[in-house]
Amino acid sequence: MGRILIVDDTLFMRTLLKNILFSGGHEIVGEAGDGAEAVEKYQALKPDLVTMDVVMPKMNGIEALKEIKKFDPGAKVVMCTAVGQEQMVKLAIKTGARGYVVKPFQAPKVLDEVKNVLAS
Amino acid sequence: MVSAPVKVQHNDEWINCKITIDDEKIVIPPPVNATIPLKHIVDLEEKKKNTLTIIRKDGSVIDLVSVEKVRFVLKHKILMKCSGYRLMVQFMSPAIRGGVLVTNAIWEKGAIIVLKTGIWCITQNKQICIQIDDVTGIELTKREVNDKPTDVVRIDHLEHHDVVSSFILTQISTLQILHNFLQEATAGIKMEGTELGAMDQQIAMLVYSGMDSSSIQNMLQIQFKEIDRVYEKLINLNMAEVKEIRREVQLTAKGVRYITDATKSGAN
Repeated sequence: MGRILIVDDTLFMRTLLKNILFSGGHEIVGEAGDGAEAVEKYQALKPDLVTMDVVMPKMNGIEALKEIKKFDPGAKVVMCTAVGQEQMVKLAIKTGARGYVVKPFQAPKVLDEVKNVLAS
Repeated sequence: MVSAPVKVQHNDEWINCKITIDDEKIVIPPPVNATIPLKHIVDLEEKKKNTLTIIRKDGSVIDLVSVEKVRFVLKHKILMKCSGYRLMVQFMSPAIRGGVLVTNAIWEKGAIIVLKTGIWCITQNKQICIQIDDVTGIELTKREVNDKPTDVVRIDHLEHHDVVSSFILTQISTLQILHNFLQEATAGIKMEGTELGAMDQQIAMLVYSGMDSSSIQNMLQIQFKEIDRVYEKLINLNMAEVKEIRREVQLTAKGVRYITDATKSGAN
Protein backbone atom coordinates (compact mmCIF):
# COMPACT_ATOMS: atom_id res chain seq x y z
CA MET A 1 0.00 0.00 0.00
CA GLY A 2 1.33 3.42 -0.83
CA ARG A 3 1.22 7.08 0.11
CA ILE A 4 -0.29 8.78 -2.92
CA LEU A 5 -0.52 12.34 -4.22
CA ILE A 6 -3.47 12.94 -6.57
CA VAL A 7 -3.08 15.65 -9.21
CA ASP A 8 -6.07 16.69 -11.34
CA ASP A 9 -7.65 20.06 -12.07
CA THR A 10 -11.20 18.78 -11.49
CA LEU A 11 -12.48 18.16 -8.00
CA PHE A 12 -14.73 15.41 -9.35
CA MET A 13 -11.81 13.39 -10.75
CA ARG A 14 -9.73 13.93 -7.61
CA THR A 15 -12.62 12.72 -5.46
CA LEU A 16 -13.17 9.69 -7.69
CA LEU A 17 -9.49 8.73 -7.62
CA LYS A 18 -9.34 9.35 -3.89
CA ASN A 19 -12.23 6.92 -3.37
CA ILE A 20 -10.79 4.29 -5.66
CA LEU A 21 -7.32 4.46 -4.13
CA PHE A 22 -8.63 4.60 -0.58
CA SER A 23 -10.78 1.51 -1.23
CA GLY A 24 -7.57 -0.23 -2.34
CA GLY A 25 -5.97 0.49 1.03
CA HIS A 26 -3.78 3.40 -0.05
CA GLU A 27 -3.20 6.55 1.93
CA ILE A 28 -3.94 9.80 0.13
CA VAL A 29 -1.29 12.20 1.41
CA GLY A 30 -2.31 15.16 -0.70
CA GLU A 31 -4.11 16.63 -3.68
CA ALA A 32 -3.09 19.23 -6.23
CA GLY A 33 -5.16 21.08 -8.82
CA ASP A 34 -2.37 22.02 -11.26
CA GLY A 35 1.18 21.09 -12.22
CA ALA A 36 2.92 23.78 -10.19
CA GLU A 37 1.06 22.79 -7.03
CA ALA A 38 1.90 19.15 -7.78
CA VAL A 39 5.64 19.88 -7.87
CA GLU A 40 5.43 21.85 -4.61
CA LYS A 41 3.42 19.14 -2.87
CA TYR A 42 5.68 16.38 -4.17
CA GLN A 43 8.71 18.10 -2.67
CA ALA A 44 6.93 18.66 0.64
CA LEU A 45 5.18 15.29 0.97
CA LYS A 46 7.53 12.89 -0.87
CA PRO A 47 4.73 10.44 -1.74
CA ASP A 48 5.35 6.88 -2.94
CA LEU A 49 3.34 7.54 -6.09
CA VAL A 50 1.64 10.38 -7.96
CA THR A 51 -1.41 10.11 -10.21
CA MET A 52 -0.97 12.98 -12.65
CA ASP A 53 -3.55 14.50 -15.01
CA VAL A 54 -2.02 15.64 -18.31
CA VAL A 55 -4.08 18.67 -19.31
CA MET A 56 -4.10 21.22 -16.47
CA PRO A 57 -3.82 24.99 -16.06
CA LYS A 58 -0.58 26.81 -15.09
CA MET A 59 1.73 23.83 -15.64
CA ASN A 60 0.58 20.70 -17.52
CA GLY A 61 1.19 17.16 -16.32
CA ILE A 62 4.15 16.49 -18.61
CA GLU A 63 5.96 19.65 -17.41
CA ALA A 64 5.17 18.79 -13.80
CA LEU A 65 6.48 15.27 -14.38
CA LYS A 66 9.75 16.72 -15.72
CA GLU A 67 10.13 18.93 -12.64
CA ILE A 68 9.36 16.09 -10.26
CA LYS A 69 11.89 13.87 -12.06
CA LYS A 70 14.54 16.60 -11.72
CA PHE A 71 13.90 16.65 -7.98
CA ASP A 72 13.56 12.86 -7.61
CA PRO A 73 14.67 10.71 -10.57
CA GLY A 74 13.08 7.67 -8.92
CA ALA A 75 9.63 9.26 -8.64
CA LYS A 76 6.77 6.93 -9.53
CA VAL A 77 4.18 8.79 -11.58
CA VAL A 78 1.08 7.32 -13.25
CA MET A 79 -0.32 9.65 -15.91
CA CYS A 80 -4.10 10.05 -16.29
CA THR A 81 -5.59 11.52 -19.42
CA ALA A 82 -8.76 11.61 -21.45
CA VAL A 83 -9.70 9.38 -24.35
CA GLY A 84 -8.10 10.57 -27.58
CA GLN A 85 -4.92 11.88 -25.97
CA GLU A 86 -3.11 8.54 -25.97
CA GLN A 87 -0.43 9.98 -28.24
CA MET A 88 0.81 11.66 -25.07
CA VAL A 89 1.77 8.18 -23.81
CA LYS A 90 5.12 8.09 -25.53
CA LEU A 91 6.05 11.58 -24.45
CA ALA A 92 5.10 10.82 -20.86
CA ILE A 93 6.94 7.50 -20.86
CA LYS A 94 10.01 9.20 -22.38
CA THR A 95 9.78 11.79 -19.64
CA GLY A 96 9.74 9.06 -17.03
CA ALA A 97 6.13 8.15 -16.29
CA ARG A 98 5.86 4.60 -14.97
CA GLY A 99 2.23 3.99 -15.86
CA TYR A 100 -0.68 5.42 -17.79
CA VAL A 101 -4.45 5.30 -17.36
CA VAL A 102 -7.03 6.64 -19.77
CA LYS A 103 -10.18 8.37 -18.50
CA PRO A 104 -12.81 7.14 -18.01
CA PHE A 105 -11.31 4.30 -16.03
CA GLN A 106 -12.55 1.35 -14.01
CA ALA A 107 -11.54 1.08 -10.37
CA PRO A 108 -10.02 -2.43 -10.35
CA LYS A 109 -7.81 -1.63 -13.34
CA VAL A 110 -6.54 1.59 -11.77
CA LEU A 111 -5.73 -0.27 -8.55
CA ASP A 112 -3.86 -2.95 -10.52
CA GLU A 113 -1.82 -0.32 -12.35
CA VAL A 114 -0.97 1.52 -9.13
CA LYS A 115 -0.04 -1.77 -7.45
CA ASN A 116 2.24 -2.71 -10.38
CA VAL A 117 3.96 0.67 -10.41
CA LEU A 118 4.44 0.67 -6.63
CA ALA A 119 5.99 -2.80 -6.88
CA SER A 120 8.29 -1.83 -9.75
CA MET B 1 -9.00 -30.07 -47.75
CA VAL B 2 -9.44 -30.83 -44.04
CA SER B 3 -11.54 -33.56 -42.44
CA ALA B 4 -12.64 -33.22 -38.85
CA PRO B 5 -14.88 -35.11 -36.43
CA VAL B 6 -17.81 -33.03 -35.21
CA LYS B 7 -21.31 -33.37 -33.86
CA VAL B 8 -23.95 -31.77 -36.04
CA GLN B 9 -27.45 -30.97 -34.89
CA HIS B 10 -29.96 -32.61 -37.22
CA ASN B 11 -33.71 -33.03 -36.60
CA ASP B 12 -33.22 -32.20 -32.91
CA GLU B 13 -30.52 -34.84 -32.53
CA TRP B 14 -26.75 -34.59 -32.36
CA ILE B 15 -25.15 -36.70 -35.10
CA ASN B 16 -21.49 -37.74 -34.93
CA CYS B 17 -19.85 -37.36 -38.32
CA LYS B 18 -16.72 -36.33 -40.16
CA ILE B 19 -17.10 -33.16 -42.12
CA THR B 20 -14.73 -31.95 -44.81
CA ILE B 21 -13.86 -28.35 -45.47
CA ASP B 22 -11.86 -26.79 -48.27
CA ASP B 23 -11.43 -23.24 -49.52
CA GLU B 24 -14.89 -23.23 -51.09
CA LYS B 25 -17.26 -25.37 -49.05
CA ILE B 26 -18.10 -27.48 -46.05
CA VAL B 27 -19.45 -30.94 -46.78
CA ILE B 28 -21.49 -32.74 -44.14
CA PRO B 29 -22.06 -36.44 -44.96
CA PRO B 30 -25.38 -38.32 -44.61
CA PRO B 31 -27.72 -38.40 -42.83
CA VAL B 32 -27.32 -34.61 -42.73
CA ASN B 33 -26.07 -34.61 -46.31
CA ALA B 34 -25.36 -30.92 -46.85
CA THR B 35 -22.89 -28.94 -48.89
CA ILE B 36 -22.45 -25.39 -47.66
CA PRO B 37 -20.58 -22.99 -49.98
CA LEU B 38 -18.51 -20.74 -47.70
CA LYS B 39 -19.69 -17.65 -49.57
CA HIS B 40 -23.27 -18.52 -48.59
CA ILE B 41 -22.37 -18.11 -44.91
CA VAL B 42 -23.33 -14.69 -43.54
CA ASP B 43 -22.73 -15.08 -39.82
CA LEU B 44 -20.91 -17.12 -37.18
CA GLU B 45 -21.77 -17.35 -33.53
CA GLU B 46 -20.20 -19.06 -30.54
CA LYS B 47 -22.78 -18.47 -27.86
CA LYS B 48 -22.85 -21.99 -26.44
CA LYS B 49 -19.78 -23.75 -25.12
CA ASN B 50 -17.85 -25.67 -27.81
CA THR B 51 -20.61 -24.89 -30.31
CA LEU B 52 -20.17 -23.09 -33.58
CA THR B 53 -23.35 -21.77 -35.13
CA ILE B 54 -23.20 -21.17 -38.87
CA ILE B 55 -25.87 -18.95 -40.38
CA ARG B 56 -26.53 -19.12 -44.13
CA LYS B 57 -27.91 -16.50 -46.49
CA ASP B 58 -31.30 -18.21 -46.51
CA GLY B 59 -31.46 -17.91 -42.72
CA SER B 60 -30.91 -21.62 -42.06
CA VAL B 61 -28.68 -22.47 -39.14
CA ILE B 62 -26.19 -25.27 -38.59
CA ASP B 63 -24.88 -26.04 -35.10
CA LEU B 64 -21.58 -27.89 -34.88
CA VAL B 65 -19.91 -29.10 -31.71
CA SER B 66 -16.23 -29.90 -31.71
CA VAL B 67 -12.95 -29.40 -29.88
CA GLU B 68 -11.31 -25.96 -29.91
CA LYS B 69 -8.63 -26.94 -32.44
CA VAL B 70 -11.21 -28.06 -34.99
CA ARG B 71 -13.42 -25.02 -34.40
CA PHE B 72 -10.37 -22.77 -34.87
CA VAL B 73 -9.66 -24.26 -38.31
CA LEU B 74 -13.33 -24.13 -39.30
CA LYS B 75 -13.67 -20.51 -38.22
CA HIS B 76 -10.53 -19.49 -40.06
CA LYS B 77 -11.65 -21.11 -43.31
CA ILE B 78 -15.16 -19.68 -43.01
CA LEU B 79 -14.08 -16.17 -42.02
CA MET B 80 -11.65 -15.90 -44.92
CA LYS B 81 -14.28 -16.85 -47.49
CA CYS B 82 -17.74 -16.10 -46.09
CA SER B 83 -20.02 -13.30 -47.21
CA GLY B 84 -19.06 -10.29 -45.08
CA TYR B 85 -17.03 -7.09 -45.12
CA ARG B 86 -13.41 -8.24 -45.06
CA LEU B 87 -10.21 -6.23 -45.07
CA MET B 88 -6.55 -7.00 -44.48
CA VAL B 89 -5.45 -4.84 -41.56
CA GLN B 90 -3.19 -4.58 -38.58
CA PHE B 91 -4.94 -4.67 -35.24
CA MET B 92 -4.11 -4.27 -31.59
CA SER B 93 -6.62 -5.98 -29.34
CA PRO B 94 -6.95 -5.43 -26.47
CA ALA B 95 -4.99 -2.17 -26.35
CA ILE B 96 -6.68 -0.54 -23.34
CA ARG B 97 -8.58 -2.39 -20.64
CA GLY B 98 -10.58 -0.48 -18.05
CA GLY B 99 -8.68 2.70 -18.90
CA VAL B 100 -5.27 1.10 -18.40
CA LEU B 101 -2.95 0.54 -21.34
CA VAL B 102 -2.31 -3.14 -21.86
CA THR B 103 1.39 -3.80 -21.48
CA ASN B 104 3.02 -5.67 -24.37
CA ALA B 105 0.08 -4.95 -26.67
CA ILE B 106 1.37 -5.30 -30.21
CA TRP B 107 0.18 -4.64 -33.75
CA GLU B 108 -0.72 -7.91 -35.43
CA LYS B 109 -1.11 -8.44 -39.15
CA GLY B 110 -4.36 -10.13 -40.09
CA ALA B 111 -7.86 -9.48 -41.27
CA ILE B 112 -10.98 -7.82 -39.95
CA ILE B 113 -14.26 -9.40 -40.93
CA VAL B 114 -17.55 -7.71 -40.10
CA LEU B 115 -20.51 -10.09 -39.91
CA LYS B 116 -24.07 -9.57 -38.71
CA THR B 117 -23.42 -10.19 -35.03
CA GLY B 118 -19.67 -9.83 -34.67
CA ILE B 119 -16.51 -8.04 -35.69
CA TRP B 120 -13.75 -10.62 -36.05
CA CYS B 121 -10.04 -9.83 -35.95
CA ILE B 122 -8.03 -12.83 -37.01
CA THR B 123 -4.47 -13.92 -37.72
CA GLN B 124 -3.09 -17.40 -38.38
CA ASN B 125 -2.92 -17.99 -34.60
CA LYS B 126 -5.53 -15.72 -33.12
CA GLN B 127 -9.28 -15.14 -33.42
CA ILE B 128 -10.99 -12.34 -31.57
CA CYS B 129 -14.72 -11.72 -31.88
CA ILE B 130 -16.18 -8.45 -30.70
CA GLN B 131 -19.93 -8.87 -30.43
CA ILE B 132 -21.74 -6.02 -32.19
CA ASP B 133 -24.07 -5.78 -29.17
CA ASP B 134 -21.05 -5.21 -26.92
CA VAL B 135 -19.62 -2.33 -28.96
CA THR B 136 -19.73 0.92 -26.99
CA GLY B 137 -18.03 3.21 -29.50
CA ILE B 138 -16.41 3.47 -32.92
CA GLU B 139 -14.06 6.35 -33.53
CA LEU B 140 -11.60 7.50 -36.15
CA THR B 141 -8.66 8.74 -34.09
CA LYS B 142 -4.88 9.06 -34.05
CA ARG B 143 -2.35 6.84 -32.35
CA GLU B 144 1.44 6.86 -32.41
CA VAL B 145 2.68 4.11 -34.70
CA ASN B 146 6.44 3.97 -35.35
CA ASP B 147 6.83 7.40 -33.72
CA LYS B 148 4.27 9.02 -36.03
CA PRO B 149 0.71 10.02 -35.17
CA THR B 150 -1.28 7.71 -37.43
CA ASP B 151 -4.99 7.48 -38.23
CA VAL B 152 -6.59 4.40 -36.72
CA VAL B 153 -10.09 3.16 -36.00
CA ARG B 154 -10.78 2.63 -32.34
CA ILE B 155 -13.41 0.10 -31.26
CA ASP B 156 -14.55 0.31 -27.65
CA HIS B 157 -16.41 -2.71 -26.37
CA LEU B 158 -17.41 -4.63 -23.27
CA GLU B 159 -15.59 -7.85 -22.45
CA HIS B 160 -16.67 -9.65 -19.26
CA HIS B 161 -17.82 -6.28 -17.82
CA ASP B 162 -14.43 -4.67 -18.62
CA VAL B 163 -14.40 -1.79 -21.07
CA VAL B 164 -11.82 -2.67 -23.68
CA SER B 165 -10.44 -0.66 -26.60
CA SER B 166 -8.99 -2.18 -29.74
CA PHE B 167 -7.30 -0.37 -32.63
CA ILE B 168 -7.41 -1.12 -36.34
CA LEU B 169 -4.80 0.19 -38.71
CA THR B 170 -4.93 0.10 -42.49
CA GLN B 171 -4.24 2.38 -45.45
CA ILE B 172 -5.78 5.78 -44.94
CA SER B 173 -7.87 5.41 -48.11
CA THR B 174 -9.70 2.38 -46.72
CA LEU B 175 -9.70 3.44 -43.09
CA GLN B 176 -12.52 5.93 -43.62
CA ILE B 177 -14.56 3.27 -45.44
CA LEU B 178 -13.94 0.82 -42.60
CA HIS B 179 -14.93 3.46 -40.07
CA ASN B 180 -18.16 4.21 -41.94
CA PHE B 181 -18.93 0.54 -42.34
CA LEU B 182 -18.37 -0.18 -38.65
CA GLN B 183 -20.52 2.79 -37.71
CA GLU B 184 -23.31 1.45 -39.87
CA ALA B 185 -22.91 -2.07 -38.52
CA THR B 186 -23.18 -0.75 -34.98
CA ALA B 187 -25.85 1.86 -35.73
CA GLY B 188 -27.94 0.56 -32.84
CA ILE B 189 -25.56 2.23 -30.39
CA LYS B 190 -26.03 5.75 -31.78
CA MET B 191 -26.65 8.19 -28.99
CA GLU B 192 -29.03 10.68 -30.61
CA GLY B 193 -31.74 11.70 -28.18
CA THR B 194 -29.72 10.59 -25.20
CA GLU B 195 -29.46 13.75 -23.17
CA LEU B 196 -27.92 13.62 -19.73
CA GLY B 197 -27.62 16.52 -17.34
CA ALA B 198 -24.39 17.30 -15.47
CA MET B 199 -25.42 15.32 -12.38
CA ASP B 200 -26.62 12.40 -14.52
CA GLN B 201 -23.26 12.34 -16.30
CA GLN B 202 -21.32 12.42 -13.04
CA ILE B 203 -23.35 9.54 -11.64
CA ALA B 204 -22.98 7.57 -14.88
CA MET B 205 -19.21 8.15 -14.77
CA LEU B 206 -19.06 6.91 -11.18
CA VAL B 207 -21.06 3.80 -12.07
CA TYR B 208 -18.63 3.22 -14.94
CA SER B 209 -15.75 3.46 -12.48
CA GLY B 210 -17.33 0.77 -10.33
CA MET B 211 -18.77 2.88 -7.50
CA ASP B 212 -21.86 1.57 -5.70
CA SER B 213 -24.78 3.75 -4.68
CA SER B 214 -23.56 4.39 -1.14
CA SER B 215 -20.11 5.47 -2.40
CA ILE B 216 -21.80 7.77 -4.94
CA GLN B 217 -24.01 9.18 -2.19
CA ASN B 218 -20.94 9.95 -0.06
CA MET B 219 -18.87 11.34 -2.91
CA LEU B 220 -21.49 13.66 -4.31
CA GLN B 221 -23.21 14.39 -0.99
CA ILE B 222 -26.66 13.77 -2.41
CA GLN B 223 -29.76 11.90 -1.29
CA PHE B 224 -30.31 8.35 -2.47
CA LYS B 225 -33.58 9.54 -4.03
CA GLU B 226 -31.56 11.62 -6.51
CA ILE B 227 -29.31 8.67 -7.36
CA ASP B 228 -32.36 6.50 -7.82
CA ARG B 229 -33.85 9.08 -10.20
CA VAL B 230 -30.70 9.01 -12.33
CA TYR B 231 -30.52 5.19 -12.23
CA GLU B 232 -34.12 5.10 -13.46
CA LYS B 233 -33.22 7.46 -16.31
CA LEU B 234 -30.15 5.40 -17.30
CA ILE B 235 -32.21 2.20 -17.24
CA ASN B 236 -34.97 3.77 -19.36
CA LEU B 237 -32.36 4.92 -21.89
CA ASN B 238 -30.95 1.36 -22.03
CA MET B 239 -27.69 2.76 -20.72
CA ALA B 240 -27.73 0.67 -17.56
CA GLU B 241 -29.31 -2.46 -16.19
CA VAL B 242 -30.24 -3.50 -12.70
CA LYS B 243 -27.40 -5.41 -11.04
CA GLU B 244 -28.93 -5.97 -7.64
CA ILE B 245 -31.78 -4.60 -5.58
CA ARG B 246 -30.92 -3.73 -2.01
CA ARG B 247 -33.69 -3.67 0.57
CA GLU B 248 -34.10 -1.38 3.53
CA VAL B 249 -36.08 -2.96 6.35
CA GLN B 250 -37.56 -1.92 9.66
CA LEU B 251 -38.24 -4.24 12.59
CA THR B 252 -41.71 -5.57 13.30
CA ALA B 253 -43.09 -5.82 16.82
CA LYS B 254 -41.56 -9.33 17.02
CA GLY B 255 -38.17 -8.03 15.97
CA VAL B 256 -38.33 -5.13 18.41
CA ARG B 257 -39.33 -7.52 21.23
CA TYR B 258 -36.40 -9.84 20.41
CA ILE B 259 -33.88 -7.01 20.48
CA THR B 260 -35.38 -5.56 23.66
CA ASP B 261 -35.30 -8.94 25.40
CA ALA B 262 -31.79 -9.64 24.22
CA THR B 263 -30.62 -6.29 25.58
CA LYS B 264 -32.36 -6.90 28.92
CA SER B 265 -30.81 -10.33 29.30
CA GLY B 266 -27.42 -8.88 28.52
CA ALA B 267 -26.97 -11.24 25.59
CA ASN B 268 -26.30 -8.37 23.26
